[in-house]
Amino acid sequence: MDMVICRDVVKTYQQGRISVPALRGISLSIEKGEFAALAGPSGSGKTTILNLMGGLDAPDAGEIIVDGRHFDRMSAAGLAELRLHRIGFVFQAYNLIPVLSALENVEYVMLLQGVPARDRRERARAVLDEVGLSGMYDRRPPELSGGQQQRVAVARAIAAEPSIVLADEPTANLDSKNGISLLEIMKEMNEKKEVTFIFSTHDERVMEYARRLVMIRDGRVADDVRK
Amino acid sequence: MHLRMAWRNVWRNRRRSLLTMAAIAFACALLVFMLSFQFGAYEAMINTAVKVHTGYFQVQAPGYQEKREVRRVVENPAAVVRCLDTIPDVTAHTFRANAFSLASSEDRTYGISVTGIDPAREPGVSTIQTLVREGMFLEPGDGPAALVGALLARNLRVGVGDDVTLLGQGRDGSIAATVVTVKGTFSSGQDDFDRSALYIPLDYFQELYAMRGAVHEVVGVTPSIWAVPAVERRLAMDLERLSREKKTQPLAVLDWKALMPGLAQGIYLDLVSGLIFYLMLIIVVAFSIMNTFLMAIFERTREFGVLMAMGTTTGRLTRLLLTESMMMTLMGMAAGMLLGSAVTLYFEAVGIDFGSAADILRQYGISGRMHPVLTAPSLLIGPLLVCFITFWAALWPALRVRRLNPVEAMTHV
Amino acid sequence: MTLRMAWRNLWRNSRRTMVILTAVAVGVFSMIFIGALMAGVGEQMIRTSIATLVGSLQIHQHGYRDDPVVENTMEDPSEPQAALASVRMPDARWSRRVRVSAVAGNARHSAGVSLVGIEPEREAAVSFIGGAVTEGRGLSPGDPYGILVGRALVGTFETRVGRKLVLMSQAADGEMASRAFTIAGVFRAELEATEKQFVFVSLAAAQEMLGLGEGVSEIAVLLPDGADPDPVARALAAALPERYEILTWRELLPMLTAYIEMNDTFTAIWYLVVFIAMGFGIINTLLMAVFERMREFGLMRALGMTPGGIVREVLVESGLLLAIGMAAGNALAVAAVAAIGENGIDLSAFAAGVEYAGMPRVIYPALSFAGALEANLTVWVLGLIVSLYPALKAARITPVSAMARV
Repeated sequence: MDMVICRDVVKTYQQGRISVPALRGISLSIEKGEFAALAGPSGSGKTTILNLMGGLDAPDAGEIIVDGRHFDRMSAAGLAELRLHRIGFVFQAYNLIPVLSALENVEYVMLLQGVPARDRRERARAVLDEVGLSGMYDRRPPELSGGQQQRVAVARAIAAEPSIVLADEPTANLDSKNGISLLEIMKEMNEKKEVTFIFSTHDERVMEYARRLVMIRDGRVADDVRK
Repeated sequence: MHLRMAWRNVWRNRRRSLLTMAAIAFACALLVFMLSFQFGAYEAMINTAVKVHTGYFQVQAPGYQEKREVRRVVENPAAVVRCLDTIPDVTAHTFRANAFSLASSEDRTYGISVTGIDPAREPGVSTIQTLVREGMFLEPGDGPAALVGALLARNLRVGVGDDVTLLGQGRDGSIAATVVTVKGTFSSGQDDFDRSALYIPLDYFQELYAMRGAVHEVVGVTPSIWAVPAVERRLAMDLERLSREKKTQPLAVLDWKALMPGLAQGIYLDLVSGLIFYLMLIIVVAFSIMNTFLMAIFERTREFGVLMAMGTTTGRLTRLLLTESMMMTLMGMAAGMLLGSAVTLYFEAVGIDFGSAADILRQYGISGRMHPVLTAPSLLIGPLLVCFITFWAALWPALRVRRLNPVEAMTHV
Repeated sequence: MTLRMAWRNLWRNSRRTMVILTAVAVGVFSMIFIGALMAGVGEQMIRTSIATLVGSLQIHQHGYRDDPVVENTMEDPSEPQAALASVRMPDARWSRRVRVSAVAGNARHSAGVSLVGIEPEREAAVSFIGGAVTEGRGLSPGDPYGILVGRALVGTFETRVGRKLVLMSQAADGEMASRAFTIAGVFRAELEATEKQFVFVSLAAAQEMLGLGEGVSEIAVLLPDGADPDPVARALAAALPERYEILTWRELLPMLTAYIEMNDTFTAIWYLVVFIAMGFGIINTLLMAVFERMREFGLMRALGMTPGGIVREVLVESGLLLAIGMAAGNALAVAAVAAIGENGIDLSAFAAGVEYAGMPRVIYPALSFAGALEANLTVWVLGLIVSLYPALKAARITPVSAMARV
């Protein structure tokens, strides 16, 4: 079953008077439960395609279908709703709400989903334990290391029980040791919870972890390898 | 969790939030004090006016208020009193009669207003007895005795024990002439009044001006000015019935506002112009606040991007921001109300000395030190106005997040 | 260079600058506009009072002011008249009057009034009465029986032009004098109290009725608008014997003088209050602008700028911000005053209240250069003083600590 389908997606950004083509026609489908990496040099369009898959941005042409839902037929509110229940995000940096503790950050999405308070707290604790952060529930983001912050972000993405997690260069700001351990955790979650993971990277070692590697170059799919 | 989040956001930039709250507190404190001050002044003005001059309401012959002719009388004051006695909110009443007359001493003559008062009942209605400076107040049974305004006494060059000749016209058009002895002088501080008023006993007045038992004013007192409208309505009905029985024109009931239209309107004018001042002040404060909110939002754009990516709706973000601003407003308001009350209560106890301006204020019935009065309205009106305006000042920046797009927000620096 | 840098820095965050500029502009506007309104009310009250038989200054017999009765008249006005001719008073007008308190009465009504005997032609140039007659005719010089009565008095007396009005007053010999006049005209005045207080007859009629001969109560002098009465008063006092007393309107109207002073105090307090309200916003905005640029200040320090240089940098920026806001506020205030100036603010809806407070019925704002300057200086000087706080904060940064900041 296809979780994500992109058909001939085109996206061009305006930068002042210059048009910068980011995606020149991408067709791609990703199945449920995949652990796929979008790889390519910076500026190749990785972030753009992740944003489009997350419904954060709309393509100029082409079609995007996530979990059976056609984005071009959905309103902004509908997309927000879809993101809330089906899609988890992990960004490169500044992922967390600075005024909330680790536990509260994880709880936040569930709060939006309307999960009852007690349930929410239990699940948040459980997920934080799973990513190896037991005992750090009450730390605020500035009191956590970069690697720990990213783990909280993964925990938050997973806690909402999404169908798909989109991670944009999650390891870019981490040293290689922390980067690898974050990927281990992501992979573990992918296997245990059967959540589809799509992440972008330009790091060779990270690519090795992916079971599918989609190479993006100049806004096009250059190569698509399943291992 | 939203409240907790808003609370923590307020304290993220403590200095900025404190300054903003200080601005709100300043505006609130100032308004509490100013409104208490104004209300205190109004109360003093109204009190002086009703207690020295008019009473809370009067019953008069129709047209007497405008023309003040001797012949427009309340023919049967006893019947009016019978009506008044059935109304529980009327705590005291008395009769008065007025006539314009010439008052002459040995070498001076002035045109003045002679008023007949009931020495026994008048102290229950007015404070004139307490204004006596020299000599004594009138007593029941006094014959040709007079209580004279201090400035009039000075102009006439008379003192206690001297004689004053009165010359006027009686109700029937006859000449009213007599000699009265000054028994006392009084000073209200209002120059116009002290220069032109002279009191004599009512029964002597009625004899002198051929009133045949009639009076011009039945003056009534209620527990407060707020009780007047109900009393007025009730009394008007009773008098109407009375006039139907007797087949005469009904007597007029006038409240203090009708008796002194200038006073009520003057207060209203002062209040309106005051509000315009305060509004300008609050607008200045509101712009300062708007800037704080705007900057706070600007700084956090990236964070909003993440929140939106996670599925937070812009409506929810707007609510969060409004909660933050209202928290600051409420804290500022509370501090301002506390500070304003403290300052007001201090001056309520001590009074404010107006120095050279005191002479002016005395003409409006505010004598000596001015005391602001803290009341529920004076405590609440200002801060509520501030709250209302800061809400709108915060709404604009808060609504701006609706234009935010998560991708742009996250790339924001 | 500093100025150019400050200017560019201001527009780095243009929205923030615009909002704080608006706050400063609204504040300065309210200061100047309200100052102009207060000054307008004060000026009008002075003008009305001066026109209502006060004039710029008056010459009396000593003692008249305390006891304005017939005995204290100037028996021979030729001496002060000669003095008036000798003192240089460009464009000044003067007029002689008899003024006594009297009782006016007709068949049904009587009331106390001020009886004023005037020289109609001279008086027209000195007081309001010249242009105030709205019904009937004015007085002619030496008019023996004509009298001008205020509209409000005509109303309460239920009378009209052509009817009789009897006036009684104490004559020079101490006896009561009375004389029947015919209402020649009805006048209107700014305040109803004026319409009720004064009745006007010719000087000759008053002198004859009261047995004064050539005697007059006062000589009122009107100087051109804005002229200072004090030097003229001093010159007259020097030219006249002790017997005479020369009083300027400030002395004749102590209540009004106190009121104007109270207004001035109030305006000053208002300036301060508005400034404080504005001050919080100014500090906050500058603090934020400074904190954002801490790294930059650190860099400038590293490049060799002194802390004093940074203070100056920030102050120039805030001075510029204040100046722009002030310019906008001034422009707004001038525009508002110009817009209202034509018709004024009509308070007729509160006629009785306005009368009670002794205020003019229509308020015309009066923009004064001195008032506007005072408001602007208040904002600018105090604004720069409060800006010192963020400026010092910026100056305290060291290159190392600034670079460490995120």
